[in-house]
Amino acid sequence: MGAIYALVALGFVTVARASQIINFAQGEFVMLGGVITFSLLHHVGLSYPMAAVTSVFFVTLVGFLLYLLVIYPLRKASIPILLIATLGASLFISSSSGVAFGPLPKALPSFSGDQPFLISGMPVTPQSLWVLGATFGLLIFLYLLSHRTWLGKAMEASSTDPLGADLSGIWRNLMVFLAFGVSAGMGSIAGILITPIFYTSYSSGTLLGLKGFIAAVLGGWGKNSGAILGGFSLGIVESLSIAFITSGYKDAIAFVILLLILYFRPKGILGSPFIDSRRW
Amino acid sequence: MVEENNTEFRKRDLLCTGALWLLSLILPDPHFPYRRELIKKRDLFYLGVLLLLPLIWSSSHFHHLMVLAGIYAILALGLSLFLGYAGQISLGHAAFFGIGAYTTAILTTRYGIPTFVAFWASAVMAAVFAYLIGKPILKLKGYFLALATLGFVEIFLVMVRETPALTGGVIGIFGVPWFSLAGFSFDTYFKQYYLVWGVLIGLILFSKNLVRSKIGRALMAVATSEDAASAVGINVVQMKTGIFVVGAAFAGFAGSLFACIMSTANPEAFGLGFSVLIVMMVILGGMGNLYGPIAGALFLTWLTDVLSRFQEYSLSIYGLIFILLLIFFPDGIGAHLNIRLIYLISYFGRKKRRGKKEI
Repeated sequence: MGAIYALVALGFVTVARASQIINFAQGEFVMLGGVITFSLLHHVGLSYPMAAVTSVFFVTLVGFLLYLLVIYPLRKASIPILLIATLGASLFISSSSGVAFGPLPKALPSFSGDQPFLISGMPVTPQSLWVLGATFGLLIFLYLLSHRTWLGKAMEASSTDPLGADLSGIWRNLMVFLAFGVSAGMGSIAGILITPIFYTSYSSGTLLGLKGFIAAVLGGWGKNSGAILGGFSLGIVESLSIAFITSGYKDAIAFVILLLILYFRPKGILGSPFIDSRRW
Repeated sequence: MVEENNTEFRKRDLLCTGALWLLSLILPDPHFPYRRELIKKRDLFYLGVLLLLPLIWSSSHFHHLMVLAGIYAILALGLSLFLGYAGQISLGHAAFFGIGAYTTAILTTRYGIPTFVAFWASAVMAAVFAYLIGKPILKLKGYFLALATLGFVEIFLVMVRETPALTGGVIGIFGVPWFSLAGFSFDTYFKQYYLVWGVLIGLILFSKNLVRSKIGRALMAVATSEDAASAVGINVVQMKTGIFVVGAAFAGFAGSLFACIMSTANPEAFGLGFSVLIVMMVILGGMGNLYGPIAGALFLTWLTDVLSRFQEYSLSIYGLIFILLLIFFPDGIGAHLNIRLIYLISYFGRKKRRGKKEI
C-alpha cells in the first residue's frame, strides 16, 4: 500500500517540479490504468503485457490531453481556479470512465501466480514484490531523468525560475506538457500494479490521489525521495493503526497526519526546496 | 447615403439603449464596493423580482429548487467573504454546513429545543469549530490551505460515521421539525422560500456593511498582499481567522435551514463533491462580488436539476461544463458579462452598417 502512495506522490511531485501546479486528477490516472488494462484484457483480448503497455500509452495520452485542454488555457489563472479546474477534470474522468467501463469494481490477475512464499517466516505475495520492484525502478528512472539529463534540468528550471528559464531558451509549456505525460504514465503503472491486490472501481481514484498528495507533503514537498519516504511511512502508519482503532477511522488517519505535519513541520520530513525559499 | 445611415443609426441606437437599460438592471455591478449609495435601484429591482417570483411561477418543484438555491447561496456568500475578499482557499465549508445541520438536528430531535434557538446555536457551533480549526490552519497558504481544509471535511465525515450514538452514523438523523417562529410553522416550500431568501437578504445586508467597513478594506488589503497589509498595521492572522469564523457561521445558518427543510441530516450530503460545488459557485459567480455567489448558486442548482435527467451521464457532463466555464469565464459568469454583451450588441450594429457602406 505504501508503495502505491509513493507512486502517486511521485506523480504529484513530477508535475509540481515542472510547473508548481498541483494536479488533483493524479488519482484518476491510477484508476484509469487499472480499468483500461482490465477492459483491454477481457473485452479486446490482448495478452497481459500488451494490455498493460497499451493502457500506459493511453493514460499518458489522457495526461497530455488534460494539459492541452484544461491546464494550458488556464495557465495564467489564479490558484483557486486551477485547483477547481483539476478537481473538475478529475470528476469528469472518473464519472465518464464509470459510464464507459461500467461501475463494478475490477480485479486483474496477479503477474506471477497467487502463491505466497515465505521470507524469514513472513508470507509474502509475489505481487507485492512486483509493486516494490516497480516503485524502485521508477524512482531510479525519475532520478536519472531529473538529475542526469538536460530534459529534467530544464523541467526543474521552468519551475524554480520561470523568467530565467524563458531567457535561457527553455520552452516552458513543452516542459510542463512532458511532465504531465510522465506523471500520467507513472500513475497508470501504479494502477496496473495495485489492481490485482485491491479492487479498482471508477470512484477509487479520488481518495488515492488525496492520500498520494498527503504522502508527498509528509515526506517533503517537491522531492522525489520525500515522496517515496512519505508514501511508505503513510502506508505503514495506516496499516499499524488498524491494530489500535476501529477500521472506520482508517481514512481519517491520513488527514490527521496531514494536519499535524502541516502545523508542526510544513516542510515535511526531509525538508522541501520550495517552501523554504518561497511563500506559497 | 449619409442620411440613410443616420436614420438607421437612430433606430438601432434606441434598440441598444433599451437592451442596455435592461442589462443595467439585471447584471451585477463590478465596481460595487466602491460605490457610495448602499441601496440602489438595482437592489430594489432584485428584491421585487424575488418577492414576486414564487407567486408568478407557482410550481412546487420550482419552489423547492429555489429554496435549495437560497441555502446554497447563503453558504456561497459565506465562502465568498473568505475566498473572494480575503483571498484564501477553503474546501472545508461543507464541514461547517454539516456541523450546522447536525447541531440543529440533534438539538431539536433529542432535546426538543425550538428550531429558532437551534438555528442560532448551530451558527455559534460552526463558528466555534471554525475558530478552533482556523487558528492553526490559517497560517498555511494556497494549495496547502485547500488541502488542510479538505482534510478537515474528511475527518468530520469519518467522525460522523463512527459515532452513531450521537449522530446516527451512516443513516443520519430523521424527523427534524419544520422551522417555526412564534407559533408560525414554515411547512410548505412556498413559505420556506420566503424564510430562506429572507435570511439571505439579512446576511447580504450584513456582509455589505462588513465589506464597506474598515474590516472589509483591511481584508482586501490582505488578499492583495499579506506582507504589505501587515506592514500597514493590519493584524493579518486575526483578520483571516475572523473572516473564516464569519463564513463558517453563515455556513452554520445554511446547514440549520437545510436540516429543517430536508428534515434529515445524513453524512452523504456533506462530502468532497459538495465542497467543490460550493467553491465552484463562488468562482463561477465571480470572486470579490457579493451578488456573484448568489448568481452562481442559482445557476448551479438549476444546472444540477436539468442534468439529473441524464442519469449516469450527468456527472460527466457536469465536469465538462465546469471546465468549459472555467476556461471561457475564468473571472466568473457575471464579471465581464455586461462588457461582453455591450460588445456583442455594438458588434452586430457595426456589422450591419459596414455592410451597407460597402454597397
